[in-house]
Amino acid sequence: MKQVVCRSSELDAGQQIRTQLGPIPVVVIRSWKGTLHALAAKCLHQGGPLDEGKIYEHHATTKDAGEYVLDPGREVLKCPWHGYEYDIQTGCTVFDPSRAIQTFDAYEEGDDIVVRMKLPSPK
Amino acid sequence: MTQVTTATVAQPDAAQKTNIIDTDVHERAEPHALVPYLEPMWRKYITDFGWQPDRVLPYTQYAAGGLDRLDAKLPDGRPGGSDYEVLRKQLLDEYDIDYAILTGWLDASGLHPGWPEFKTALMSAYNDWQIHEWLDRDERLLGSIHVNAHEPHSAAREIDRVGAHPRMVQVILYIKDKPFGEPYYHPIYEAAVRNNLSIGFHHSENAPTALGFHRYFIEWHTLVSQVFMSQVVSLIFNGVLDKYPELHIFMIEGGFTYVPHLISRSDQQYRQLRSEVPWVKRLPGDIIREHFRFATQPTEEMSLERFLQLVDWCDSDELFCFSTDYPHWDFDSPWESLPQGIPNDLQRKLFSENAKNAYPKMPALRTGTA
Repeated sequence: MKQVVCRSSELDAGQQIRTQLGPIPVVVIRSWKGTLHALAAKCLHQGGPLDEGKIYEHHATTKDAGEYVLDPGREVLKCPWHGYEYDIQTGCTVFDPSRAIQTFDAYEEGDDIVVRMKLPSPK
Repeated sequence: MTQVTTATVAQPDAAQKTNIIDTDVHERAEPHALVPYLEPMWRKYITDFGWQPDRVLPYTQYAAGGLDRLDAKLPDGRPGGSDYEVLRKQLLDEYDIDYAILTGWLDASGLHPGWPEFKTALMSAYNDWQIHEWLDRDERLLGSIHVNAHEPHSAAREIDRVGAHPRMVQVILYIKDKPFGEPYYHPIYEAAVRNNLSIGFHHSENAPTALGFHRYFIEWHTLVSQVFMSQVVSLIFNGVLDKYPELHIFMIEGGFTYVPHLISRSDQQYRQLRSEVPWVKRLPGDIIREHFRFATQPTEEMSLERFLQLVDWCDSDELFCFSTDYPHWDFDSPWESLPQGIPNDLQRKLFSENAKNAYPKMPALRTGTA
């Protein structure tokens, strides 16, 4: 199953857009470095609409109290309600990588952005 | 890795079909909105001199929308809770709420006590604004009377002024750093009883932790329940509930998981130290079960088994009342904030009956939806 989301020119870096893949609401994100990502748009916690969340740079884990370091290239989608953060590449929550939302393939096809169910990994 | 697809996330169960009283909903007035409702002599302090409420919290609310759910902020930049139509759509209609109890934003009891005359006038303006802009627009909205608790006799006069409004159901006191059980504040409780109103205690950004304001917001927000414990203890051991046996008290926006500890600890202290407070005539746990109710938000993730144990530990299934805290960032969804599978009887109590029974002026619930 695949779905045309929008024209490629309609999604700028750092933006996201909602689409529907069958029964599943999906948020499609263009990262700050231009890559496309797609995640289920419903927060694992209380169902907050992730397509209305915001993309931030990930705060790397640091050694000492008071030390703040951004994690270059890693971006997170923060739920607009309670702030659960999801790695946009993996769908994992940053506080517990064992908890994740479903991810989808997102790519450009001609002038369009398309999402589809992930293909099985080759064995 | 546990990967949950949206299609398999549990859908809302019977809560969807149950009456819902939301005991904490924030409408919001910027000071300028209150100017038309202020006595003329006070208006210039907002229009010309720029008065703003004091805020001592040294952090920002570390959420995508700041204090609010990001999707509740208005396109023109106004904060969540500023617009009735948005609140109606996102809360009342979205979740089919029977009644939402408005708990406001600007409350003098949570501000510094200075300049009491202005604060008292401001609270009168707030109450009139609330009636005109909100209660008059939707019968599902119920009101809270805002007062300046630092001036208890003035507060009592304000309660008498608007307490007869049929949809004003409680007096609300935002918590700063004063224990409100002290006799100084009792005129407020007397006025509440006189007007058939409950008292709601609500958290505020000016409420410290037991150790003041820690270094990080996450510390402060983790410890929100501390001031609620302080207020319950203050009210009980200063004899408020013995003095006003008709009074119902709501603790709002402090969560509820601290309650079993509070009951257990205060009962034990009473057994050991009762003679210091001989005006308290019963075990604190009995007073809590009879007089206190606790709004559920902010909830914590927990299993159904853990939740039922917590209720059981209180020896009462009548203490907790559902609340969303809309439009704030830690909004609790009626469908997904409490564990799935709560038995129907308990669910009805949590979502409506417990609040219905503790607000003497609560209108009748809709029938045919349970």
